[in-house]
Amino acid sequence: MNAILQVENLRGGWEKQLVLDDVNLQVNRGEILVIVGRSGCGKSTLMQHMLGLLKPWSGKILFNERDIWESSQVLQESRRRWGVLFQSGALLGNLTLLENVMLPLEEYTDISRPDMALVAYSKLDTVDLADFADSNPMEVSGGMQKRAGLARAMALDPEVLFFDEPSAGLDPVTSSNLDNLIKSINKSLGTTMVIVTHELPSIFAISDRVVMLDPEEHNIIAEGTAMELKENSTDSRVRAFFGREEFTEKKEE
Amino acid sequence: MKSTDKLILDGTQLSIHGVLETHDTDYLRVFLEKNKAVFFDAGKLGLDFSDSPGIDSVPGEILYKFCRQLARAGVKITRIGASKSIDSLFASFKKHESASYSKKRQIGIHEHFEDLGEGVYTFLKTLSGLWFFAGETLNAFIGMILHPLKIRWPMVFYYMEETGVKAVPIVATLTLLLGTVMGYQSGFQMQIFGAENFMPALLAYSITWEIGPMLAAVLVAGRSGSAFAAEIGTMQVRQEVDALRVMGFDTFSYLVTPKMIALLFVMPFLVLLANCSGIFGGLLAGIFFLDFPASTYISELGKALIPLDIIWGMMKSVIYAVIIANVGCFMGIRVRGGASAVGKATTAAVVLSIFLVILADALMSLLFVHIRPGLSV
Repeated sequence: MNAILQVENLRGGWEKQLVLDDVNLQVNRGEILVIVGRSGCGKSTLMQHMLGLLKPWSGKILFNERDIWESSQVLQESRRRWGVLFQSGALLGNLTLLENVMLPLEEYTDISRPDMALVAYSKLDTVDLADFADSNPMEVSGGMQKRAGLARAMALDPEVLFFDEPSAGLDPVTSSNLDNLIKSINKSLGTTMVIVTHELPSIFAISDRVVMLDPEEHNIIAEGTAMELKENSTDSRVRAFFGREEFTEKKEE
Repeated sequence: MKSTDKLILDGTQLSIHGVLETHDTDYLRVFLEKNKAVFFDAGKLGLDFSDSPGIDSVPGEILYKFCRQLARAGVKITRIGASKSIDSLFASFKKHESASYSKKRQIGIHEHFEDLGEGVYTFLKTLSGLWFFAGETLNAFIGMILHPLKIRWPMVFYYMEETGVKAVPIVATLTLLLGTVMGYQSGFQMQIFGAENFMPALLAYSITWEIGPMLAAVLVAGRSGSAFAAEIGTMQVRQEVDALRVMGFDTFSYLVTPKMIALLFVMPFLVLLANCSGIFGGLLAGIFFLDFPASTYISELGKALIPLDIIWGMMKSVIYAVIIANVGCFMGIRVRGGASAVGKATTAAVVLSIFLVILADALMSLLFVHIRPGLSV
C-alpha cells in the first residue's frame, strides 16, 4: 500500500505525562482512517503529534517519507499540504465565513484578494454555504460552522484532512449529513482523511479502516474495518466499545 | 512531477499533464503571461485536460481568469477532456464571478451620523440596563439584610481579601507618592510667598476630600471592577451562568451580592488608608524637601481637619463601591458570544465605572459645600 503518513515508534504525551508508548501507524493515500477509543485514551494527543503541534519524545512522524521534525521548513511545507477541522470549527469570530476561508490562501499564496475570494467561494460551494459567505460565524448554526471550518481546511486542496471529533455537539441528522459530505469529498477529490471520533454511527458510515487506542496500554489495541472489529474481535475492550449500540448493525445491513 | 512538465504548449494547444497543484501557481502565472501573445495573435486557445485527473482550486482560478481575459478580447477558447471535477470547479467560478467582494462598506457622511446615533443609543441603553440591574441588586440586597444567614459569607470574605487586602500595597504606595509630590510642589510654591505653613491644610483637604477617595475608587475599579466583569463574563461564555440558573440558584445572590457586600466593607478602609498614607507623604515631603518640622506639620493638620472631612470621604466611598460592583457585574452578565466579548466587557466596566464615580463625586461635592462648616458663605 502507498503510505502518505507514517507514525514510527512514537512515544509522547503532555509535559511529563506519558500518553502514547511505541505507537506504529500507517495512513494510506486516499483512505479514511478513523482513530477511536475511550475518553482519555490519547486519540487527540496522537492527532496533535501527527499535526506537529506536539513534539514526540522519541520516534518519528513521516509525511511523504520525510520526518516532519527534520527541519522547520519541512514542518511548514507539510502543514501547507494538510487541512484541519477543529472540534469547534475554530472560525475567527471577527471575520465573515468567506474571509475565514480566505485565511490560508492569504498565508500561503500571493494571488490578489478578489482571486482569493473566488477560490473561497468555490470552496464554500463544495460545502453548500456560498449563500452565507458574508455571515459571521456567530450568526450561523453549529453544523454550518463545522462546514465552513471544513471549507477553510480545504482551501489549499490539502493532501490530508484531519478531523477532531467532527460530529461533536451536532444532532444525528446534521452529523450524518457531515459524514456524507466527508465521504463525498474523499470520493471525488481522493483526499486522505484522518478522523478522531467516538461516534459509532460515524465510524460505520465513513471509515475505511479503524484503529483503536487504549488508555492503559498507551497503544493501539485493534485495527481493521469497523465491521471486522465489531464482529470478529475477541478482545473484551473492543467488544465493549462496539457492542453496546445495536442500531448501527441494522443500518449496516 | 515537476511544474515545468505539467504544462506543454504546442502551437495554440495547451495540454495539462498530471494534477496542477497549489505550489505550481507561480509557474503557471509566469507561463501564461509569457505565452499570452501567442493566443492573442492566433485568436484561439485549446485547453487539453485529457491527461489531467484534476486541478487544485488556486491554479484553477488563475487559469479560469486567464481564459476569461482572453475570451473578452475575442479569443476563441476550446476545452477538451476536462474531468467532471474540473468542469464543476470552473462552473463554480463562473457562478460566483459576479459576486463582488468588498472588504469594507463605503463610509460616507451619512454613515458617520448613523454611527453617532447608534453610539448614543447604545450608551443610553446601557445606562437604562444598568438602572434595572441596580434595582435587582437592591432587591437582592434587602433580602440579604432581612436574612443575614443567607449571605454567602465565605464568598464575601474571599472577595474582601481579593478586593481589599490585596489592594493595600498599591493603594498605599500610590497615595504616598502622590502625597509627597503634592506636598513638595505646593509647599515649594507657597514658600515663595512665605505661606508654607498652609501647606499641611491644603494637602489634608485635597487628599481627604478628593484625591484619597477618588484614587482608591479608580484603583479598585481597575483591579476589581474589571475582575468582576471578566469572571462573570467568562462564566457566561462557558454557559456556567445558565447552568447556575438551571440548578435553581438565584444568580444575583450567588454572583453579585457577595461581591458588593465585600466592596461595601473594604472601600471605606481603603479610603482611610489612602488618606493616611497621602498625608504621611506630605509629611515626608515637608521634612526632606522643605525643612518643615514634623511637629508643626501635625499641629497645622490638627487645626485644619475636622472629623467630617475623614467621614465624608469614607461615606463617598460607599457610593463608589456600589457603582463599581454594579457596573462590573452588570457588564459581566451582559456578555454574549465568545472570548472577545469578555475583553470588551472588562474594558467597558472600567471605563463606565470610572465615569460614573466621577459623576457621582461631582454631584456629592455640590452637597458637601453646604454641609461642611467654613465652606459656604
